[in-house]
Amino acid sequence: MPSSTTAAPGRLLTQAAGERRTGALVVGGHPGGSVYLIEGMVAYAESPAAPGVGELLTASGRLAGRTWQAALDAGTSQAQVGRMLVDQGHLTQGELELCVLGATYDAAFFALSPASAPVDFLDGAVHWMGAVVRVDADALNRESRRRARMLDEILPDSRVDSAPVTPAARLPVGRVTLTALQWELLVHADGQRTPADLAQLLGRAGYATVQELRRMAAIGLLRAPVAGERAGPVRLTAVPTPDAAPPKPAATPPSPGAESRRRDPPRGTASPRRIPGSRSPDEPRAEVHAVAPLSPTGTLSPTGTTLGPTGTEPTGDTRPETTGPVQRPPRLARRKPGAGIPKDVAAEPPPPHGTDEVLLKRIRTALRALR
Amino acid sequence: MPGVDHCLQEAMAIPGAVGASIVDYTTGFPVATTGSAPNADHDAAAAGTASVVQAATDRSMIVSAVPNDLLEDLIITTAGGYHLLRLVQTDFDSRLVLYVWLDRSLGNLAVARRRMQKLADELVAT
Repeated sequence: MPSSTTAAPGRLLTQAAGERRTGALVVGGHPGGSVYLIEGMVAYAESPAAPGVGELLTASGRLAGRTWQAALDAGTSQAQVGRMLVDQGHLTQGELELCVLGATYDAAFFALSPASAPVDFLDGAVHWMGAVVRVDADALNRESRRRARMLDEILPDSRVDSAPVTPAARLPVGRVTLTALQWELLVHADGQRTPADLAQLLGRAGYATVQELRRMAAIGLLRAPVAGERAGPVRLTAVPTPDAAPPKPAATPPSPGAESRRRDPPRGTASPRRIPGSRSPDEPRAEVHAVAPLSPTGTLSPTGTTLGPTGTEPTGDTRPETTGPVQRPPRLARRKPGAGIPKDVAAEPPPPHGTDEVLLKRIRTALRALR
Repeated sequence: MPGVDHCLQEAMAIPGAVGASIVDYTTGFPVATTGSAPNADHDAAAAGTASVVQAATDRSMIVSAVPNDLLEDLIITTAGGYHLLRLVQTDFDSRLVLYVWLDRSLGNLAVARRRMQKLADELVAT
């Protein structure tokens, strides 16, 4: 019988590895995840914040969705999915090992990084991937801690890792250079998708995604996460939890298709929604938030979390003195004399046809990701 | 079929090879290692390898000057050795580099480079 305790996941992993146990360490909370041990060695890990081997292989087009699904159908019951893909000639042994290693370290970072979380150990649970690699539990713990430190060296604000991503409407610098991954993230960030959503959608490693987002947040390319938007990550992770913690040895794996289906309904019910690319009433607010990361401590000014369309007026007076030449006063302040947007209009959700359009676009993106 | 360990064994068979590893250059983490590392520290060597690759891919004007002109390998020579870094191009998302450290008096740069190209390709070729 699993016994749920609240503890440091990393310490429990070390303990389970020391006892050479076989089973799954299931970490609850957000984002949570599971680490699978075979005789004390880590064989696989998964987390909702990190794309699994299936998502990595299918999102990149390396494997067709049906090839992956066929391997899952045939290999899940014997926990041989990995070997089956190699035996059938779909992947080389090298590709499989590298992919599993990458996915394991990636997911372990998210599962093991919380200082304290509800943790279960499911004795005897084996992942359907099978025994492709063996990773030392202490090495995995060390690496997870090192990755967390490296993120904090970039920008010590962990809210960036889970809040919905919104590109800054106006930049606090005159020129930026982007890496290819940063470009990809910005192009797909729509103010609704969380870092985990983006990683799954693009088939990019969760840690690499978070790392680039922190880098972009550090130079003010992203709108600062606002307190009200914390609902985003909760909404996302609350849904996949049953799949993320498969209690049975032969738990049905989440297929890439299930992945996107699973993530869509919560978005469909979210409101109010902005139409991407359209000029919405609260756009000037984005400018104010965009400058927030500039504060010397790297943390956000408390006013940044409470400003609404009507709350920008006082900052309109003080901003130009404290910011560089690139900064301009928020547009709403200038609009105030004649055409101030009434609060009730500004808060009104976009017209219904706009919502449909966004939903259709999202479905199209999800279908493309399936390919 | 060649796996990661087999690839590193083959890398150590290159004349003059002292040590070899496969490094994730997003995180500077050695995914697999064999043989020696400079200062007997594979972790530090991996972190350094990652910095070098990132300097070339992200911060250099040489790379990506032309579309699809991707980085293939980096060669660092010292008085006593050669350090070869060969990017492993996987179709799925990974940022990996094969690193081999050669003794300069025993190693042959051209041979080693060709062998590493073959190894990196075989690791992921279908």
